[in-house]
Amino acid sequence: MKLAYYPGCVAQETGKELDRSTRWVAQRLGIELVDFPNFSCCGSGFIDEANPVLNVALNARNLAIAERAGLDILTVCSTCQGMLALANNRLQEPPIKAKVDAALSQIGVQYRGSTKVTHLLDVLVRGIGVEAIRQRVVRPLTGLKVGAFYGCHLLRPADRIASESPEEPHSFEDLLTALGATPVLYRGRVMCCGFPILFVKEATASRVAGIQIDDARAHGADAMATPCPLCHLSLDAYQNKAEKQVGHDLDMPVFHLPQLVGLALGASAADLGLPRHLVSTDAALRKIGAVAVPS
Amino acid sequence: MSEEIVDVPFEVYRFDPARDRAPRYQRYALRLAPHTPVLSALLAIRNDLDPSLALRYSCRSAICGSCAMVINSKSRLACQTPIGPELERHGRIVIDPMRNMPVLRDLVTDTRSFWTNYRRIDPFLKPNPAKPMPEGRPSPMSPAEVARFYETPRCIACAACYSACPAVEADPMFPGPMALAKLYRFVVDPRDGGTQERLVKIQPGGLWLCLRCHLCTESCPKGVRPSERIMDLKELAIAAQGGTETGSKHAVGFKENIRERGILNEMRLVRQTSGFGGMIAQLGQGFHILRKKRELMHAPKPIEGASEVQRLYEALDTEERR
Repeated sequence: MKLAYYPGCVAQETGKELDRSTRWVAQRLGIELVDFPNFSCCGSGFIDEANPVLNVALNARNLAIAERAGLDILTVCSTCQGMLALANNRLQEPPIKAKVDAALSQIGVQYRGSTKVTHLLDVLVRGIGVEAIRQRVVRPLTGLKVGAFYGCHLLRPADRIASESPEEPHSFEDLLTALGATPVLYRGRVMCCGFPILFVKEATASRVAGIQIDDARAHGADAMATPCPLCHLSLDAYQNKAEKQVGHDLDMPVFHLPQLVGLALGASAADLGLPRHLVSTDAALRKIGAVAVPS
Repeated sequence: MSEEIVDVPFEVYRFDPARDRAPRYQRYALRLAPHTPVLSALLAIRNDLDPSLALRYSCRSAICGSCAMVINSKSRLACQTPIGPELERHGRIVIDPMRNMPVLRDLVTDTRSFWTNYRRIDPFLKPNPAKPMPEGRPSPMSPAEVARFYETPRCIACAACYSACPAVEADPMFPGPMALAKLYRFVVDPRDGGTQERLVKIQPGGLWLCLRCHLCTESCPKGVRPSERIMDLKELAIAAQGGTETGSKHAVGFKENIRERGILNEMRLVRQTSGFGGMIAQLGQGFHILRKKRELMHAPKPIEGASEVQRLYEALDTEERR
């Protein structure tokens, strides 16, 4: 399997551990990642607020880069996934397509609309398959109760972008089960992490995050896992702020999706960048018998 | 055509604040056809098993908007939700009252905050001197003008979106999806004279608290797509007033940030949104994160072909748009 790898901004910056663990898992599972240093930011939803046509054009350029190489795109971020898929969807509207095509032609780019955008979660569950992954597990995550946290833009708006039910998704839980973990079902798993307004009104954003972490905890989760580095920032890097909002300690380790896959496939904590997390993952690592590396 | 009758385990939220110390779930076992709407099942419970169950309903046809409730954790109309698919996914049907508002009894909630927020947006046409009303009647609109807000008047004010909204849950300042979708309807109505004033009034602590999670759009029984109307409002607010609020500054700042290198410069974004004062306020958290993530200090290298990105901006982010 060969895919155009679209890491997104955060996985190249403060979320580098996501890039590192993605590459580790891809190599182990035989997914060939092709890098394109000319991919731009997806707009993260913010450019969509300010100028939706520009947002579609930026992503159409990214889609065209992959199309020229004859590859589909692999994302590791719910928001990048949502924005790139949304561009494919909105290009079905003739007035938007006309404006975007005209702008792209000025830079000598043409997008015919053939690039599929797939998130790593989908590639693992439906591309490689949970059974094939189960057979590769060398360190089952037995006893670890994990609350999957999908991230809004992987699921909604469903009729435009989703690859599975926005209300009852189960691909993440299926994967967790294959890794030997026990998935925890809770309302918050399809809710928002608060990130989009973290810099607009931090207290509200952190309260939203705290509500979901509390919900996961109340349903018995030892850890959470997310396919989105923006959710990870909100749930991990700003968990101290969420604690202030809900008024008690949370101490919830939050994994990136490929980190949990990597752990089950035998990677070390350092391979996966776990020491870079703000909330220690040590307790979860001890639970599955993986040695925690001092940070 | 006959349909199989199946066993349906119900768990229904029961709470009378005047008598009960805490809410409880009451179980009922019914035998029903899978196409039966949840509302019909609840009425069967009330009529045949337990007349004390309180619920609100009227038309049974998804028109009156009275029977919104939380069905297996999703906010929706009970009359429009068949039990079959719910049973298939969950093996039982758990019914709660709407969220984000107080419970009066069982499934009946106090919707006052929903309506108060609706009134915040002045939900009526304001005279527009450019479009006089002959004989007190609004002037007719062209089909193209109507098409801009065709979905929004379908709203039946059921409050399912309000119940589903995490911003309403976390912040009483947020007016909620329905109020903002209605606001959009008045802002783009050519007969309305209050557009600019409406856009100014809604911005502080209102419009920019939307999380873009689209839960409202998934819960809306009428296809109003409130989250997308809110996105439209944000675009209109920025086009009319630029980055004047923290929220619009963040959107405009993010857009300008990407223009420069084609990739996000994280540190610079904080200054673009919050100014130097905001940067100082963020210092503590900045150091907290820097302990583990040093990249925060370094501006990323521009992408290859950053000039292509800049030319897209020149073509599509023109002066009048900014």
